[in-house]
Amino acid sequence: MSRKRIRNILLKEWRVLFTDVGNTLIVTVLPFFIVGQLLLYVWLAVNFGGEKALGADVFQNAIARLTQAQPAVATLSSVEQFQALLLNQFAFFMLLIPVMISINTVTFSIVEEKLSGSLEALLATPVRTWELLMGKALAGAIPALLVTWLCAGAFLLAVVALGWGHLVRLVANPVWFISLLVLNPAVTVLSFLLGVIGSARARDAKNAQNLVVAIILPLLGVVAIQVTGVVWFTPLTMLALAAGLVVVDYLALKVAVRLFQRESIVVNWR
Amino acid sequence: MASARQDATRGLIAFLRVLPSFTPYARLGFGRQEVSLIEARNLTRKFGQLTAVEDLSLDADEGEVLGLLGPNGAGKTTTIRMLAGIIAPTSGSAVIAGHRIPGEAGPLHENIGLLTESPGFYDRLSAQRNLLYFAGFFSNIDLTAQVEKYLRALGLWERRDSRVGTFSKGMKQRLALARALVHEPKVLFLDEPTAGLDPEAAQQVRDFIRRLGGAGRTVFLSTHNLAEAEQLCRRIAVIRTRLLALDTPRNLRDRFFRREVAVRLQSVTDAVTQAVRNPPVVRNLRVDADRLVVELAEPERQRPELVQAVVDAGGRILEVAENRQPLEDVYLKLIHEDTPREP
Repeated sequence: MSRKRIRNILLKEWRVLFTDVGNTLIVTVLPFFIVGQLLLYVWLAVNFGGEKALGADVFQNAIARLTQAQPAVATLSSVEQFQALLLNQFAFFMLLIPVMISINTVTFSIVEEKLSGSLEALLATPVRTWELLMGKALAGAIPALLVTWLCAGAFLLAVVALGWGHLVRLVANPVWFISLLVLNPAVTVLSFLLGVIGSARARDAKNAQNLVVAIILPLLGVVAIQVTGVVWFTPLTMLALAAGLVVVDYLALKVAVRLFQRESIVVNWR
Repeated sequence: MASARQDATRGLIAFLRVLPSFTPYARLGFGRQEVSLIEARNLTRKFGQLTAVEDLSLDADEGEVLGLLGPNGAGKTTTIRMLAGIIAPTSGSAVIAGHRIPGEAGPLHENIGLLTESPGFYDRLSAQRNLLYFAGFFSNIDLTAQVEKYLRALGLWERRDSRVGTFSKGMKQRLALARALVHEPKVLFLDEPTAGLDPEAAQQVRDFIRRLGGAGRTVFLSTHNLAEAEQLCRRIAVIRTRLLALDTPRNLRDRFFRREVAVRLQSVTDAVTQAVRNPPVVRNLRVDADRLVVELAEPERQRPELVQAVVDAGGRILEVAENRQPLEDVYLKLIHEDTPREP
């Protein structure tokens, strides 16, 4: 029965989500657009960045860390090393895609339910809290992860298409796969849960989506730190980061489940 | 021989057991036991320092439409939410359709329907999709058939593929009724079902509610509309945080107002007034223009005698009617009595 109910919620969420043009574009087009745009920046940086940028200390430090992690980088020309460094940042940029899709989906879903009053009618049915949360979480998580992985595939194809195929093995490394397969799902869950927590208090979807900032800023911070070479993420540190996120996910889940009790929805939600 | 007699006895017992379900027999009311489907005992609900509902006890029988009246903030919605197992009482308990709350909210939800104050639908989905979604949470129902049954019953079948966002408020309210009924609940909670509807739409909803009571469903109806409560409900509960009164509209009237019969005559003569003044049958008599207003001890039984007395005294009767005090007056008296006076 639970599986049937979760499927029911999941399909309804998608029906509502994909009848809205704005949401459909955010889920299907925007992520690919962002990947394309970032690849364009790499191409511009490599072709027009000039010797000054390539020789900058900040990049040299990072390239040294990259070479330490992947000795094959040492055999590349300085331009290719710079390319490899920039392309390696994509694993972290890819984290922004599930964040964006998850938060958009969950805030849209919950705030719409609050505004229309459909949630109270739903609470008078035998649906359980966890089924409702699970249905809504999967409705955001499935497209978020699928699109992220498709974007990752599209990114690698684009790297090959741009004539940088020999760099693929340096990009699609263990850190890349841990990021895609472990960190991305953990971040997706966290985004969903924070979206639930924010939506419980927010009066409209925009208000709730302001939470995105709270997640995106630290992520961008991670990217910024790695590109300077101050911190370099190895497979081990990536796994530690993922483990830390799982703990945060668990704590956020406890808050979200409490907020999603019938009593809380009716009494405390605004 | 003994075995044949035993078989016959068993057969008779079995027949007597199923007899109440035979429609003509059941319609006459034979074999029907009064079964309470709503039994609330000392329900109290506090929100911090604020007491929304205090010590509320009431019952509603199978097939009864019970009205819940009260001013804004009286605790009507909180009462419905407690009885529907959405919020827990701070103290007290209730048994709804055989399920105790707090504690059995899960199975309870299989047996109740709730019509919330605002219809609450997904505007971008069709009427049918909306109903299929909500009905999909209940076990053991034939989804497609039930959805079709109630879309047809509420006159929405032709618009089943239209987006709910294009519906009028009346159509949304009918759809919300269909949603509350689609799983055939034993108990139905209706929170302001006709609020904001135009008179025609409100009448359609009222007709439907009346049919529900007739079909044996217990309906708990919260409303501000006193005429509606009187039309639909067998008994009315008036609350203002706590229960102020629970009775039939007639008994509530009798509690505060005398039962009077007004006899309109072509002209009121002394002979007529003398003939009618007959204590203890007539408790009080006054003349109001061309009307004799008579307070009788037992109006139903004594009204023919009164008419006979008027006619015998030569009075020419134009109209005889019970001088019914509006339920609104009863309600206002109850609320006024409960209002604390300024020191």
